[in-house]
Amino acid sequence: MIYSLLVLSSPFSGHSSRRAAQFAHCVTARGHTIHRVFFLDAGTLASAANSVSAQDEESPVTGWAELADQHGIELAICITSALKHGMLDQVEADRHERASPTIDAAFTVSGLGQLVDAYASSDRLITFGG
Amino acid sequence: MILHTLNASPSSAAFTDCVSIMAKGDALVLMGDGVYAALAGTKASKTLQQTDASLYIMTADALAAGVTNLAAAVSRIDMEGLVTLTETFPRQQAWY
Repeated sequence: MIYSLLVLSSPFSGHSSRRAAQFAHCVTARGHTIHRVFFLDAGTLASAANSVSAQDEESPVTGWAELADQHGIELAICITSALKHGMLDQVEADRHERASPTIDAAFTVSGLGQLVDAYASSDRLITFGG
Repeated sequence: MILHTLNASPSSAAFTDCVSIMAKGDALVLMGDGVYAALAGTKASKTLQQTDASLYIMTADALAAGVTNLAAAVSRIDMEGLVTLTETFPRQQAWY
């Protein structure tokens, strides 16, 4: 079965983003495919390359990046949400004259059309909010 | 058949709205602050049990919140259990 995930929550508030990553691990472990994880609103903060976690906490960026690396899952962040939250790739950093990109290389800046595509291309779209 | 996931307290509008559209054949998974709705003897758990939906709770979230005295109709599931439910139900409605 093909899954896509929609992550709406900040990884720094509540457990939804972490729960989504655990869900993604479990989905792949059960033999399913994840087509795309789409991050919207504060969910885009999961891509924060410069975020530093406490020593006894797993970095949300690392958790997602490992998923992408191990299973070839696309991590797409909504460009409008990303820019509002200061999450810029190299192209956007150049365009808006910022010193450097702020998102991890595992994530790609994308548009809402990719969320629609994820819904159309997957058997399941599972949303994590709150 | 809809799989509802509730990540909001029983005092929230999300809880009220979720309960109002839950129907026979649906399932509800309580997670995050939603786990408090499973506490035995509370108005919220009685309301849930009056629906015809199947009721589940994420075990880890319940333990983290200290919610151990569950209403009888609520079944504990882990993450694999949640994935299994998404395999069964073609649509999910997230309440938060």
